Amino acid sequence: MVLKLYGTPYAFGATAVVAMVLLEKHIPFEFVLVDLKTGAHKTREFRERHPFGNVPCIEDDGFIVYESRAIARYLADKYADQDHGPRLIPVPTKVQERAVFEQGASVENVNFFPSVLKVIQEKFEKPLHGETTDEVALAGYIAELSKVLSVYDDILSKQRFMGGDEFSLVDIFHVGTGPGLALGGIDVMISTGPNVARWWNDVISRPSWVKLQAEGIKSSV
Amino acid sequence: MVLKLVGAPVSTCTRRVATVLVEKKVPFEFIPIDMSKGEHKAASFVSNQPFGQVPYIDDDGFILYESRAIGRYLCDKYPDQGAKLVPALNDVKGRALFEQAASNEYQNFDPLAYRACFEMIFKKRRGLTPDPAVFEQLITALAAKLEAYEIILGKQKYLAGDEITLADLFHIPYATTLALAGTDIMSKQGPNVTRWYKELSERPSWVAVKDGVQSMSSY
Repeated sequence: MVLKLYGTPYAFGATAVVAMVLLEKHIPFEFVLVDLKTGAHKTREFRERHPFGNVPCIEDDGFIVYESRAIARYLADKYADQDHGPRLIPVPTKVQERAVFEQGASVENVNFFPSVLKVIQEKFEKPLHGETTDEVALAGYIAELSKVLSVYDDILSKQRFMGGDEFSLVDIFHVGTGPGLALGGIDVMISTGPNVARWWNDVISRPSWVKLQAEGIKSSV
Repeated sequence: MVLKLVGAPVSTCTRRVATVLVEKKVPFEFIPIDMSKGEHKAASFVSNQPFGQVPYIDDDGFILYESRAIGRYLCDKYPDQGAKLVPALNDVKGRALFEQAASNEYQNFDPLAYRACFEMIFKKRRGLTPDPAVFEQLITALAAKLEAYEIILGKQKYLAGDEITLADLFHIPYATTLALAGTDIMSKQGPNVTRWYKELSERPSWVAVKDGVQSMSSY
């Protein structure tokens, strides 16, 4: 049975992270839209699959996984063979390479994600709920994010990608949040330093991401 | 050469790493950093940990930071030593469920627990005024997440299945600090979370490090 991806259809957010992995790994999937506006993710039926009531989640022949980063890792693990595109995660027996990958993965969720989320919530989500963006607070959040990206610039002067020298899931984890900033005229992903700019351009020019931006998330079968 | 753990003796993240070192029976030398003197922002520290955060390890010249990455590294490097804290490499479904539980910890539990502790404990240490209203909001949000934990832990013993994993252990430092912050939520949510939390807080590896990390030369 074809894998089912439940989530939102945009090239934005956690569902987009999983969609990019599916495309990179040439994994066929059926996309099932979950309309957050109608509270479809909070129904009892949905919560049986996902007790936290969030999207995305996948159903792989009856096997259910939620949390976008966990889904991504599962897909990379299950389809580690050469017929399925880039590995996206070092083999566990290459202990030090794997550790550098895990370091980068942790940096994304502990340092990058909380900072970028504050910017996104202030700039984009508040107006969606009829509130006004506090420009002073927003400037503060952008400054915080810039500080994180300055450290990224230092890291990326020594390794090509955020998980090591190969493109990996760690880089993909950033596409749920990073690309949206430019839509609001916030260019920190390319203006903070030359190494971050080089890295970010590499990530968003991947054919998988270009396709998602152009078409949104759709079933591949 | 013995592994060096560089951190602060009672820092949550330093103790998170120390717990795993003890679980895996890995000898280590503890090198304390005095954060009140800004030693974590010194050039010699930042050259190893560019975010200026504790802890990091120096394993015979291999430098690694981020406590959860260090914990995973120790399990990868010593798969047959000490407690088995991650599923086997060829157990693809088991590993997926482990990663799901691990993601719950760093995406759903930690941001709220950390900010609650920051509001009532760390702010005071920096001479700032805690805001009880912010704290209450965070605890309410955390309680909603723990409702899902209560369901999960009613079906299985631990967060990834019936065996303890890093995903459970990684909760301990902030879960236990919440009591100091002024909430007993970890023992009030429901019988399943209470059972799980009690067991974790009494885990010998945590008890060995909770009052301050020290070098361990043998086990």
